[in-house]
Amino acid sequence: MGGLAALPMDAVMRDAAFPALALNRLAFGPRPGDAEALRRDGFERWLDEQLSPHDDHDDDGARAALDACRLRIKYDAGESWAAVEETRPLASLGKPIDALWPLSDGKRPFAGPERQFPRLEVTAATLIRAVHSRWQLRAVMADFWHNHFNVFAGEQAVSASLPAYDRDVIRRHALGNFREFLEAVGQSAAMLVYLNNRSSRAGSANENYARELFELHTLGRDAYLNALYNKWREVPGATAGRPSGYIDQDVYEAARAFTGWTVEDGAGLGGEQRLPATGRFAYVEGWHDQYQKRVLAEEFDPFQAPLADGRRVLDLAADHPATALHLCRKLCVRLLADDPPERLVRAVAAVWTENRRKPDQIARVVRFIALSPEFAEIRAAKVKRPLELVASFARAAAIDLTATNGLIGELDGSGQKLFGCPAPTGHPDRMEAWLGAAAMRRRWSLILGLAENRWGSGALDNAVLFSGPVTAREAVEGWQRALHGAEPEEGTSRAILAGMALDPAARLVPGSRDGDAKLRRIAAYAAMAPRFNER
Amino acid sequence: MSHGPHAVTRRVLLQGGLAAGLVAVPGLRHVAYAAAPVASPAVPATETLVVVFLRGGADTLSLVAPADDPDYLAARVPELRVRTDGAGAGLRLDQTLAPGIDFRLHPEAAPLADLYNGRRLAVVHASGLSDGTRSHFVAQDLMERGVGDEAGLNRIGTGWAARWLAHPGAEGAVPAVATAPNTPAALAGDAAALAVADLRQGLAPPGGDPTARVLAALHQSGEGAYARAGRAALAGLSAVDSRLPRLPDGKVEPYAPEAGAVYDDGEAGRGLQTVARLVKMEIGLRLAWVDVGGWDTHENQPGRFAKGVRQLSQALAAFHADLNRFETRVTVVVLSEFGRRLRGNKSQGTDHGHGGAMLVLGGGVAGGRMVGRWPGLASHQLDRGVDLAVTTDYRAVLAELVGASVFPGFEGGRLGLLG
Repeated sequence: MGGLAALPMDAVMRDAAFPALALNRLAFGPRPGDAEALRRDGFERWLDEQLSPHDDHDDDGARAALDACRLRIKYDAGESWAAVEETRPLASLGKPIDALWPLSDGKRPFAGPERQFPRLEVTAATLIRAVHSRWQLRAVMADFWHNHFNVFAGEQAVSASLPAYDRDVIRRHALGNFREFLEAVGQSAAMLVYLNNRSSRAGSANENYARELFELHTLGRDAYLNALYNKWREVPGATAGRPSGYIDQDVYEAARAFTGWTVEDGAGLGGEQRLPATGRFAYVEGWHDQYQKRVLAEEFDPFQAPLADGRRVLDLAADHPATALHLCRKLCVRLLADDPPERLVRAVAAVWTENRRKPDQIARVVRFIALSPEFAEIRAAKVKRPLELVASFARAAAIDLTATNGLIGELDGSGQKLFGCPAPTGHPDRMEAWLGAAAMRRRWSLILGLAENRWGSGALDNAVLFSGPVTAREAVEGWQRALHGAEPEEGTSRAILAGMALDPAARLVPGSRDGDAKLRRIAAYAAMAPRFNER
Repeated sequence: MSHGPHAVTRRVLLQGGLAAGLVAVPGLRHVAYAAAPVASPAVPATETLVVVFLRGGADTLSLVAPADDPDYLAARVPELRVRTDGAGAGLRLDQTLAPGIDFRLHPEAAPLADLYNGRRLAVVHASGLSDGTRSHFVAQDLMERGVGDEAGLNRIGTGWAARWLAHPGAEGAVPAVATAPNTPAALAGDAAALAVADLRQGLAPPGGDPTARVLAALHQSGEGAYARAGRAALAGLSAVDSRLPRLPDGKVEPYAPEAGAVYDDGEAGRGLQTVARLVKMEIGLRLAWVDVGGWDTHENQPGRFAKGVRQLSQALAAFHADLNRFETRVTVVVLSEFGRRLRGNKSQGTDHGHGGAMLVLGGGVAGGRMVGRWPGLASHQLDRGVDLAVTTDYRAVLAELVGASVFPGFEGGRLGLLG
């Protein structure tokens, strides 16, 4: 890979703030000792290890935390089920889709909480991986892709499909090849249900998936030229086979190309025949619109082989230059800054295009961004979203976090309900979406609740930081160093001491009831400082 | 035109955002946290505009339906249209928009029919964007920024509601509220706009007075976006929280709607109930924004749409009854980013379309009428041959409520919506 010589790695590593900066972008923040280890071992080495997770599974630490997690389920007796009140392990995570698909069947006797339980389990697993996984960068990228390829698990069939979607589609391809990823998404039950392609039929196709494929998954809204052009020929470059964007005619034709891509959901096929009900992908020839099409100025002949029309649309969309720009801009926004330098976006897009046939295309692109000079230069250009806030606080404060219903409920109310965004855009990545008054108040509740273990998600152990009694000033400064990865600010120290009416010389004893209560409050308040909320 | 230094701050900030073409973030208003007596009794008759935005593109051809139009009958299976007879027949509207057509409200919209017949509700049909987009997100951006085409998005970085509130007269304690975790793009540029989803537990920061003091000090001086947002949030939350009626034990008094109004527990009902309470608190509320989702009915539209219409209609009727005392100062406008395709698809749904319908409700509204121009549904009358054409720009409706100067470059005719 070229273009990296520009980064003076020695100078970067001499910058005391860089390790924490990198870990707040490429991981869910540093744990105690992480920044020092990154400085000692070298950033490139850390990065390359993160970009090649040893396997598809969880490391031992994350596995143990996932195994230990228990979620409560409770509902009253219904017409055809008994009341339930119990705690359960995250048993759905490893199950194949056919084992969970019955939960999507409205005719079967399942209480609502049973049908939504897979969503709860995947949410718990996401929180646990964000805090515990050794493969932090993959967890960060999984969060990115879950939003890019958003599905709404409030819908029962999506909830039932979510463990398979998270495991076999999102996390499996998070650092892989985009074109392969796109097909895995397009053939997933979660997406086929969410964007309705499963019910699309020749004759009057359902346009939902085709439209969002172009607008959100690939070319992007900047390439949607419908307000400017009415006919495909009018789009600049179209008659030369290289249209600069797409219009509604492309959406209509692409929707026809995907007719017949469906889910084994028990739907009738005519006569006595029905699809099985397994949740697996199916192609139904009889539902496919076989006739010729034109997508992005390419002619499709009639009567192609099964799946060929849809796959060709994915090829065209994945290869389009607008897709490279759209995806690389989004990656830079996620990893770097709300308004990344356009020069960097274009350089990243060139790497994207150059590597588009490589199995590790996305890893190579992320590597290029992380090693760019801009990555080392730009500071505090983003606000942590609630998931990042929770995970980075738990990591920095060394809370042995488990996910509980209470914690998930509070996170759901923060504006970032995981797998609960109804719009196909996913949760927004730019800061203005997270700075409203209600959202700010939820951030404070999340931090205070974690520090005081309000939801049983894991106690904050002051002894990790303070081996013996400390003065209030030492505690305030110690927590700032631990959480902010930087020297304490006098304004923050004064704000906390004065707000708590604490004498700076007051003695706080870890392990004592009063000392622990005050030390935890101090930790929470240090995490409410703007410096901990920006990255 | 009396306004204090706060108002100047608001306008300066807004113009800065405009000039830079940027979306400003919450910021510089109400620097002090402690509740000051900011509610200005100088503007008691302030009109309040409530915007109910139907996210997803509502099928207004099923809400206010040309029920016997032969093109409508031909394009849709019976489940996807409003019928003129039988048990589930639509509710006939007296109108002069297109006297030859039997326009009917969806059968679940009975509360709206009462408001229409009581001349409180007007319908502006075939309204929407003049831009050709069928994208939710482009269309929502256009309608929230208050511009006519996509080029306008690059020129104007603020929302129309923020521009309206920047005019003198909006200097109450809390001039703008969105019933969501965050404020919508229509309020981008209004540093004081407050997002409050729910008032039932009060709005004080968690952890009591020490947390409030620490937060105020932590955010008091920083110039970054986050510190500014913290200041704005603390000021706005405190302004509302300190005025919420309390029980002797300090808990927030449960809200008791007037006139027997019952709010549905859907998004519309919850949001409008919060707005009603804020109106009655006399905090200078000028604009309230309520998002209602669930209208993107590509699949299984009949049941989903009926439920949405039922909840929306009940919520609007409850709000109107509850705020009867304030009826002349509160106006509600209901809009969506676009209407849906005339022809249904084979998923029992409808795809993205173009022209829609807007509802305007209030004591000051010249209601009981359908307003605009009906373009017809024959192929040659449709936009691009497929969708209801737009004959009334959405800005013409909003301009009657907030003034045309809020929409730079737009010159609309008068619709006469307010009596």
